[in-house]
Amino acid sequence: MKHSLLRPAEMAVLLAVALVIVPLLFYLPLWLPALVELMLLLRACLLLRQSRLPGLAVLLPLLALAAAGVWLNLNTLIGREGGAALLILLLGFKVFESRQQRDWQVVLALGFFLSAMPLLFDQSPWSALWLVISLLALTWAMLRLAGDIPSGSARTAVQALLLSLPLMLVLFVVMPRLPGPLWSMPHDTHTAQTGLSDSMEPGSISQLVQREDAAFSVVFSGQAPSVSQMYWRIMILDDFDGRRWQNVHGLQQETAQLQGGQLIRYRLTGKPTRSRLPLLEYPLQAPGGSGLEPGRLFRLASDSDDMVRVDASSLLGSHYRQSLSLSDQDFYRRLPPGNPASRQLAMQWRMQSQGDAGFVREALLHFRLNGYRYTLTPPLLEGDNTTDAFLFSTRQGFCEHYASAFAFLARAAGIPARVVTGYQGALYNPLGRFWQVRSSDAHAWVEVWLQETGEWLRVDPTAAVAPQRVSDGVSQTIPALQPAMPLMGSRIPGWLLPLQQSWQAAGFAWQQWVVGYDAARQLNLYRLLGLGESVDAVAVLRALLLGGGLALLPLLWWWRKRPATAPLQAGRNLLVAALQCHGITIQPSDGPLDMLNKAAHLPKDVRVLLKQLLKEYAAMRYRHAELPAKQVQAWLRQVRSFAQQARKKRQRS
Amino acid sequence: MQSLSLAYRQLNTLILGKSRAVRLALTCLIARGHLLIEDVPGVGKTTLAHGLAAVLGLHYQRVQFTSDLLPADILGVNIYQRDSGSFRFHQGPVFSQLLLADEINRASPKVQSALLEAMEERQVSIDGDSHPLPQPFFVIATQNPSEQLGTFPLPESQLDRFLMRISLGYPAADAERALLLGQDRRSLLADMTPCLQGDGLLQLQEKAAALTVTPDLADYVLALLQATRQEGSFLTGLSPRAGLALLSAARAWAMLEGRDHVLPEDVKAIFPAVAGHRLGLAGDATASLTALLDHVAIP
Repeated sequence: MKHSLLRPAEMAVLLAVALVIVPLLFYLPLWLPALVELMLLLRACLLLRQSRLPGLAVLLPLLALAAAGVWLNLNTLIGREGGAALLILLLGFKVFESRQQRDWQVVLALGFFLSAMPLLFDQSPWSALWLVISLLALTWAMLRLAGDIPSGSARTAVQALLLSLPLMLVLFVVMPRLPGPLWSMPHDTHTAQTGLSDSMEPGSISQLVQREDAAFSVVFSGQAPSVSQMYWRIMILDDFDGRRWQNVHGLQQETAQLQGGQLIRYRLTGKPTRSRLPLLEYPLQAPGGSGLEPGRLFRLASDSDDMVRVDASSLLGSHYRQSLSLSDQDFYRRLPPGNPASRQLAMQWRMQSQGDAGFVREALLHFRLNGYRYTLTPPLLEGDNTTDAFLFSTRQGFCEHYASAFAFLARAAGIPARVVTGYQGALYNPLGRFWQVRSSDAHAWVEVWLQETGEWLRVDPTAAVAPQRVSDGVSQTIPALQPAMPLMGSRIPGWLLPLQQSWQAAGFAWQQWVVGYDAARQLNLYRLLGLGESVDAVAVLRALLLGGGLALLPLLWWWRKRPATAPLQAGRNLLVAALQCHGITIQPSDGPLDMLNKAAHLPKDVRVLLKQLLKEYAAMRYRHAELPAKQVQAWLRQVRSFAQQARKKRQRS
Repeated sequence: MQSLSLAYRQLNTLILGKSRAVRLALTCLIARGHLLIEDVPGVGKTTLAHGLAAVLGLHYQRVQFTSDLLPADILGVNIYQRDSGSFRFHQGPVFSQLLLADEINRASPKVQSALLEAMEERQVSIDGDSHPLPQPFFVIATQNPSEQLGTFPLPESQLDRFLMRISLGYPAADAERALLLGQDRRSLLADMTPCLQGDGLLQLQEKAAALTVTPDLADYVLALLQATRQEGSFLTGLSPRAGLALLSAARAWAMLEGRDHVLPEDVKAIFPAVAGHRLGLAGDATASLTALLDHVAIP
């Protein structure tokens, strides 16, 4: 029974840290957080059965083994993933050598540190919500560990967090930001990249389309373009190997010019895909003043995949003129051998039609009239001549099939052509007043270079097959075409749409105001509040003094509001905890005399001291209406030392 | 205080092995309350009452209540004086400092209410004249809980007039052995020396009423009252008057303990005796009250 006081508190600590590392199940190799959770559970079982703990001779080799496992899995023990992995591993082992109060305090401190870990991987509102839950659990466990009465600790934890909330806010707003995302660590290679990949083969985009998650969001300043005009370009795929389109960076220099078109300004917030961000066709210049990549594509300078926000401008519907040298033209006409039927068809059209534009019309007409179907689950294209198989036998496909086939046909006819991947369309969120582009809006189309005008022309063969796709989005297109599709069938029902929109709006606001609170916004705020013209030491100090003073007001209010007997109550709790160490259980219904009576069998020196403390307690609570604070504090000090001695004695025994 | 502990010790030589009941009885008197002793015959109810009167130096009267008792038998009566031609008030047994109302539930409700009114008002009104009762004035009433035939149980409103209800119960074996081997109780009673003189008891009562009760302690009493009102096991909760009764009894108990302030333990000590009859519990059904004390936290 000697552990009877500490055990529930230890359980609380174990529970709290187990909660803290739950999100890491999503970001680390699954076996690792699962292993640590299992270890925590095992420790809880040992605690319940009061079994002996394994010695260092067992723990150290096991730790080395687990660390080796992490190394094999991640190839590192530092950085975001490696560091997180190592830390939770150490936590898992630390609880096995935690015996004394101090050890558990270390575990708790580690838990507080780890609670911020999921934010390194994901800065969504979910992570923040989980952080709050973690902090609550940890604070609760801390109160239990400090010997607070179990019944009140949950409420006290909530109160403590609420009181500290203003201070958190002030620190969040005031502390200087590093330019760029705070955790700009090199991203890890083992995690699967989401979003569009840098190559395209049948099936690569249709997988993406089945996901409903948000890719990026856009706010237009001024009138938004129509949805069918929203082509968000990410990547140009200029090389075909018979099955797969990929980018081989054929074009080293950008010599294109934009002519005409309507200027559209917008702010885009999203996660880069391989440091690339989609921009509306065709971007005028790269956000942030840097240059665009050849092909008018945008690539971020940093190698991070964290959420970014950029201001961009595009010329909608402009002519994309570029003079291609003969070798460049040849580059865009390269084709691997094979697909004889397709080549023949292309040559046939070439003969029949007038000029490149005529060829394009002919090809689109072919797609529209010859029973092609737009589907997410096309039959597998077998053999070497995949384009032939698609064009002449299966005739079912998704945007990547059509784009690939069209580009092949154009190249076969001697027209320079390339595949462009990105997103098409967007969904307006009236609550947040922004446009949401989702993964399901991923799309592929073709740009052909017309000899006559020397300009790149966007051709979307999918639009010829399924015009709805471009005007209404993929979710409107697919169910109409193929209602029995299992994945698409589970789309959000209509009545839930407002809910989904609210959630998206909340996420957008979160992104804008919390995650997107960067150095620039901070500077704006500093200027607005008159704290200084730059975020330097003096300004930060000034802001901290001002904001910190304001944030401490609730704390002051609480301090003044709390009853004068609060320290006495705290002292009583300490005494209860101390007596618990001596194996005496005190009920909340026990008064000071009851406590003394229950302690009758204690050694004389302890009893004498306890009697004196309880006598003073009784006198202060039940004899005097007004209490001199000094006297109370002196008493509390004595009680603390008494409790400390009791704890030491328990640990010795 | 010296005299009080002396009185307490003397009473304990008279009533053996019942120190808690004796202490409660003494507390009740110091708190200016009337006492109801509910017990089977022969456990020392009368002896206790007698002893209390003796050690506190009080004028003592005893009335055996029967069903044919009339109010005038207790209160007194106006009798015509032939020689003076006027009426003269003959005081009844109620005009004493300590009245033992034996088997109070045997008397008719009329008599009961006459007595209870006198207890509350501390005066007697007959034919338009009011006659104040002596100071101090206590009633110790006894009743036999097991005999129900031909009795008139006291209504709840009148039970409320008693500050406490206690029961003595059978003595423990060794106490009973000492009783059997010891002196005759009657002769012991005659040997008791009064510990208080004059208005000594009144002073003690005033002193007890002045004992400190801090807001914290009042909060505890409030918590207890609330608990009896919320608890499902009681028909009705305790009234505010019961709260006042708890406090005054706790004060007296604290004074007997030699303290100048009231602790929660004092409240706990007197709680079953003060609350039991007010909550309509049978004399031996105090388990629910103890349970209540165990789960109401001291604020």
